[in-house]
Amino acid sequence: MLKYEDNKNLISISIINEMNIYSAAELKTLLDKLIDDKRDMEINLDGVSEIDSAGIQLLMLIKQERNNNNLRLSLVQHSNAVLDAFEFLGLVSYFNDPVLLTNRKGDLHGA
Amino acid sequence: MAKKIMIVDDSTSLRQLVIMALKSQNYDVIEACDGIDALSKLSGSKIHLIISDINMPNMDGISFVKELKKNPSYKFTPVIMLTTESQEGKKREAQAAGAKAWIVKPFQPQQMLSAVAKLILP
Amino acid sequence: MELDLSVVLPTFLDESREGLDELETILLHLEHNNVDHDKLNSIFRIAHTIKGSAGMFGLDEIVNFTHVVENFLDKLREGNTNITAELVELLLACGDHIRLLVQIAETQDPLDDLLVKNGSALISKLSILNGPDEDSNVKKDMVPLPDTDTERIDSEHAKNDNWHISLQLSIDTLRNGMEPLSMLHYLETLGEVISITTLGDAIPQNAEMDPESFYLRFEIIFKTTSDKQTIDDAFEFFKEGSHIAILPPNSKVSDYIALIDSSDDDERIGEILVHAGAITQTELNDALSTQYSLHMTSIEKPLGDILVEQRMSYQPVIDAAIVKQTQIRSDKSRDAASVRVDSAKLDLLINLVGELVIASAGTALNAQTTENTMLIESVSTLTTLVEEVRDSALCLRMIPIGATFTRFKRVVHDMSKELGKDIELIITGADTELDKTVVEKISDPLMHLVRNSIDHGIENIDTRQANGKSATGLIKLNAYHDSGCIIIEVNDDGAGLDKQRILTKAIDKGLVQEGQQLEDSDIYNLIFEPGFSTANEVTNISGRGVGMDVVKRNITELRGAIELDSKPGLGTNFRVRLPLTLAIIDGFLIGVSADTFVIPLDLVIECIELKEMNNSLDTSKDYINLRGEVLPLINLRTLLAIEGGLGKRQNIVVVKYGSNKAGIVVDELMGEFQTVIKPLGDIFHNVRAVSGFTVLGNGDVSLILDIPGLIQGAISNQPHILPITA
Repeated sequence: MLKYEDNKNLISISIINEMNIYSAAELKTLLDKLIDDKRDMEINLDGVSEIDSAGIQLLMLIKQERNNNNLRLSLVQHSNAVLDAFEFLGLVSYFNDPVLLTNRKGDLHGA
Repeated sequence: MAKKIMIVDDSTSLRQLVIMALKSQNYDVIEACDGIDALSKLSGSKIHLIISDINMPNMDGISFVKELKKNPSYKFTPVIMLTTESQEGKKREAQAAGAKAWIVKPFQPQQMLSAVAKLILP
Repeated sequence: MELDLSVVLPTFLDESREGLDELETILLHLEHNNVDHDKLNSIFRIAHTIKGSAGMFGLDEIVNFTHVVENFLDKLREGNTNITAELVELLLACGDHIRLLVQIAETQDPLDDLLVKNGSALISKLSILNGPDEDSNVKKDMVPLPDTDTERIDSEHAKNDNWHISLQLSIDTLRNGMEPLSMLHYLETLGEVISITTLGDAIPQNAEMDPESFYLRFEIIFKTTSDKQTIDDAFEFFKEGSHIAILPPNSKVSDYIALIDSSDDDERIGEILVHAGAITQTELNDALSTQYSLHMTSIEKPLGDILVEQRMSYQPVIDAAIVKQTQIRSDKSRDAASVRVDSAKLDLLINLVGELVIASAGTALNAQTTENTMLIESVSTLTTLVEEVRDSALCLRMIPIGATFTRFKRVVHDMSKELGKDIELIITGADTELDKTVVEKISDPLMHLVRNSIDHGIENIDTRQANGKSATGLIKLNAYHDSGCIIIEVNDDGAGLDKQRILTKAIDKGLVQEGQQLEDSDIYNLIFEPGFSTANEVTNISGRGVGMDVVKRNITELRGAIELDSKPGLGTNFRVRLPLTLAIIDGFLIGVSADTFVIPLDLVIECIELKEMNNSLDTSKDYINLRGEVLPLINLRTLLAIEGGLGKRQNIVVVKYGSNKAGIVVDELMGEFQTVIKPLGDIFHNVRAVSGFTVLGNGDVSLILDIPGLIQGAISNQPHILPITA
């Protein structure tokens, strides 16, 4: 579900498998310990096989918390499932991470 | 991967029709004839949606949904109740039990497919 | 999407008919018993299921009619109406009507006028009994669930010709198993989602954030040709606790306002708006009720103004009147643990099992000749298993006679009404099982017997009372197993048969000679003779040109027999004896000269060596003295003109059918044998001595003796065998 590596200036988290309503509670408990970490944070989404709105709003929560505390967050290696959802919901620009856009029109002003 | 849907109804013909309609849209379907049967067939496997009648022998739809929602694996599984216009009270009961969607019987297969599409990701 | 409904239709037809049968049973039960809430629920559920399934098939006639019946039954189970005989009558008629509609669904014949008239007559009768019906408008049942308040979004947001949808969904959305993404994807099927903006500003601080709650808001620009109701329907499952605003494109808003301005007829405005897709029916109802409450406080306002003022927002609409549903307890009457199998598949299985039995007998025979004990032993185990398989396979074909009996309830009900008699039908042994084919074929003869009892057996109420009997006549149907057979009895407590009249008629017809001495039972059994009919006046009930002789013939064709017993003034009892199955019997193999024959083992009582009995082999003699009893002999050698010398010794196989015994003279007793009955060709139809043939283990063919026929012949001393006349 979640792995992370500590580096000197960077905490690198990987979320794997499903990010949905079934895993949301457990995932949040795991993330709670890391969310205030002062280092730069990178979340690798390569292993996310499925994401629903529960997963989306969890990512938005992290982004919001990090922003409020002036901490950095970058989402990297979005899986197709994540990318599809971001594009559909117009969230690419919200997270403002470099992604490889497909041809969806939901997020023309993104990236 | 095809989404899996369970249909629970004591009418064989209705089940067959529902299965035929769902399969035409490439859903995987499993069937059960009442609540007890449905619970025994679920056994932890992943189900994306359940369509259940209210009036059934052995275990009715409402008791079934109550049991279903106790199981962590199906806590968030959407349930479509098959109701009738004369079952407004039942419908409320079903909603209280956790079945938030419904189709009014009798319905056309297309109506059912629309309801399914509203609740299940493509 | 095109679905081939015809594949599933037969299941619906079967299911509906089963339901209707059950409905009938329960109604007839209700007529004679106290009101039982469970039963009322069951019949409601039957109507409910038929309507539901019919709707799926688009069988509108069935839906419309059954809907009215269902509503009526719904009221009935709430206990608002008394269950009277007329009511049962009416509901039975409704059941019949549905049955006809189901029939038409099958044949796809057009609906004829008479049927339509009949249907509406029944509906009006139902509504009279029902009193004022607040649910007479079928469309009204589409009352939507409580809608939600809507936050108004300024119309500048809605740009160009696009709709603007603002979704603030319930915090419990996810907990309820609803995934907003699915619903948003569904919107794509209605038009083009130009853009979605997802707002996370409602997500609380980390500490307060519940990951299973839903905080996101969506603003959607949507292009579609669909009307507002259709868009609104996309959110139907998400409405509870949500704020949903659907704003029409700018151009359209102006159109709507122009429409409202140009008309002064409020009701029409509402219709036009709904029709134009500007507002939903819910919104209209809402506005109308606002208008009404303003009117109550003496403020008159045009509907258009109200709509504009309300900015086409929703208000919760709760139609409390329709919430009046009592608990429907689950009905345990139907056993769901059964499987439906095509009877042709079953027949094939039975046939194969039959072949298996033959092959297994052959193997056993061959094994015996090898004198290899190991082989003989394992073959014997195999044979035991095959026998079990045979028994289980035959059981698959066994169904209870109950369903057939139950059908007679309706006959009794209808006919007694017609004849002005009061008759109660008592059924016992409904669980007794017999072969499906036998059940199907015995139905008509039994029906005839029951009709006969109602028509000729049970007297009029006046006559009964004059004779000191209870006004209600009794007809009893009983079934039970008896030594490898099933016995079905039809018993009435009516007047009994008129012995004298039967005799007179039989003499008239030349069936018996005047002055001939006959036992009572012989006289009674004359009614089974061809062309005999006792009714002085032919009523429209039994006067269908079918006599008791046909009943007897049908039963005989099933390898069964019928006998009757009657007591003047006390009633008549018909006893039908039937084999359990038509396919396989336990046979007893005998040999005469080089030929072998099979006698059904059930009928064999004992075997005696003829020599012990009678030292002189007087084969011309056609009876012996068996322990003081006269036993008619049937000599197969002479009867079937079998050539070849006598065997070393002669044996007698004593057989019994019904109350009659006979001895069959044979050469050799060869023991028990699993016999798969194969029917004889039509050409042998008139041969009475044999009823079929079977294939022996060694491949030889053996004839199965028709014991009932032979006994009959031996007793009546008539020619034992008829020449082949076909």
